[in-house]
Amino acid sequence: MNRWLDRWLTLMLLALLGWAGWSCLHWLWHGADWTVVVTNLPLYAVGSYPDAERWRPLLCIVAVVVLIVITLLGPRHGGWRRSLPLLWSAMAPLGIWLLAGGLGLSPVGTQSWGGFSLTLLLTAGSGLLALPLGVLLALGRRSDLPVLRGGSTAYIELMRAIPLIAVLFFGQLLIPLFLPPGVEINRVLRAVVAFALFAAAYIAEDVRGGLQAIPPTQREAAAVLGLSPWQSLQLVVLPQALRVALPSLTNQAVGLLQNTSLMAILGLVELLGISRSLLANPAFIGRYLEVYIWLAAVYWLACTAMALLARHLEIQLDPVRSAR
Amino acid sequence: MSRPISCRLIGAVGGLIGLLSGCATLGDGTGSRLDLVQERGELFCGVSGKIPGFSFLSPDGRYAGLDVDLCKAMAAAFVGDSSKVQYRPLTAPERFTALRSGEIDLLSRNTTHTLSRDAAGGNGLSFAPTVFHDGQGLMVSVGSGVRSMADLSGKAICVGSGTTTEQNLNDAFAAQGLPYTPIKYQDLNQVVGGYLQGRCAAMTSDRSQLASARSGFKDPQQHVILADRLSKEPLAPAVVGGDQRMADATNWVVYALIEAEERGITQANLDDVLEQAVADPSQAALRRFLGVDGGLGAKLGLPDDFVVQVIRATGNYGEIYNRHLGPGSAVTIPRGPNRLGGEGGLMIAPPFT
Repeated sequence: MNRWLDRWLTLMLLALLGWAGWSCLHWLWHGADWTVVVTNLPLYAVGSYPDAERWRPLLCIVAVVVLIVITLLGPRHGGWRRSLPLLWSAMAPLGIWLLAGGLGLSPVGTQSWGGFSLTLLLTAGSGLLALPLGVLLALGRRSDLPVLRGGSTAYIELMRAIPLIAVLFFGQLLIPLFLPPGVEINRVLRAVVAFALFAAAYIAEDVRGGLQAIPPTQREAAAVLGLSPWQSLQLVVLPQALRVALPSLTNQAVGLLQNTSLMAILGLVELLGISRSLLANPAFIGRYLEVYIWLAAVYWLACTAMALLARHLEIQLDPVRSAR
Repeated sequence: MSRPISCRLIGAVGGLIGLLSGCATLGDGTGSRLDLVQERGELFCGVSGKIPGFSFLSPDGRYAGLDVDLCKAMAAAFVGDSSKVQYRPLTAPERFTALRSGEIDLLSRNTTHTLSRDAAGGNGLSFAPTVFHDGQGLMVSVGSGVRSMADLSGKAICVGSGTTTEQNLNDAFAAQGLPYTPIKYQDLNQVVGGYLQGRCAAMTSDRSQLASARSGFKDPQQHVILADRLSKEPLAPAVVGGDQRMADATNWVVYALIEAEERGITQANLDDVLEQAVADPSQAALRRFLGVDGGLGAKLGLPDDFVVQVIRATGNYGEIYNRHLGPGSAVTIPRGPNRLGGEGGLMIAPPFT
């Protein structure tokens, strides 16, 4: 009896799933009107960047994509591989130079930045600022100096107790009020700093977890070998701790990318913001479903790429596997 | 031992006070914002970027809409080139801060002119003349047979909760002694959803928003916005308060748009009219308006022919309205109170003398 009920339930559920899947596919192919996405592809990529200079943010995105592909699928050994860390670290200053201009390129103000290039910049900029800050905070929290330890702990606990949106509101709405009239700090810079300050508290705790996983004997062994405390930290403790913390750091990076979409409600036209502006165009009114499905796909792609890169890095850093 | 410390303390406090008072007087010392705009050769204009018909992104990456055209008109008058505008998309909470901190020169963002925003004790803004008379309205389906507010007695009405919209609805129906059932939603899209699902006989919001929501419906002709007006929402551009030259220049650019429509001067016939005015000395008023003589522009700190620049860039008020909200556009809002004074509307311009 029970078996028949199970079979019947299974069949019904399969039929229901099939029907739901089929209607979704049917809508995707026939019901949806993708013109809102297709005609606005350049805007999703670069925002309202000046026409003549659009190649710059596009080049930036293409460079990142090429780097990701080479890293993931390129040859496992050889000179290429060794130059990759260099290429990756050159990417951030290169990207900012391409977007902002100067040094031979015509300058473009941040108010014209937008779309995916702005999302990338917010993520990369705040991540790169937050990582060193987070490591310092983690070291500070484990320090023997009471002031340093107390300060780091207070900062971490305070930042973790405040919702991200409150920090962003503070950066975008309140900071300009405190400044004297006529003095202005760039909106994108304010956003990057607010994200970095917030993420640093979480990164600090991840790194502290990594530090605590390293047995004290490591440090003692380093001391016996004659390494100074600084050398032991730099050569022995931190590399191991960061490797342990890598999975949770990836978590933070993916979270950071998705959190940048909060800037849409604070007036930056990053990926979500530009979508909301486009949905106000009378030609595309009511195309919410298409736009949000497209956004979901883009965010999913970006986050998957980050996750794959992190996996790759983990494998590279694994002393057992890389020794093989 | 304690003396040097207290001296240092007093010095530090004095320095801080000096610094703060220096900051406080910085705004007065730098002169008019108009000079800054002209010196910079570019206008920083705050817009919403998310309101159909008023400001939105078009596929070529440029902003368009009625609010955006006003930015262009101002730029044409101030620096002689309507393309010299930098748009800053702003959210509602940050718009006044952006104006005060000097991030933008002009706020053209669907902002209702109210006492507390105008007064020095409130936001301390300086509003230009109203460029769009909005007001809360009610939308019903044609098939429902509802023709006026009174027909909605006892029916359900969809409304965004916790807004002035909800309060206005309540006030208006209570004043007429009409019972109704409010069905409350978090935001406008949900209100639209509830209305389309037939949960209520009518939905309420600002009339411009009703019209733009309707243009996204499958059958826009089946829905009608009632003539009843539950509130007045005069939308106007604003500049920072206490800067008379900037305020005057903004005011008179708006007036010039209205006056040009009154005189029937359009983008198309501008050159002919200008030629006529130059050739015919008896057209004194027209010559003053177009800056052929009279030197009116100079009094505002603008070029004498600023009106010509403005009309060449954007056309007169009626042209701007029709481009974005007129019968041919995607978001059609009947002109109603936004017609000229002479045609039964509220748009009037003081004399250009």
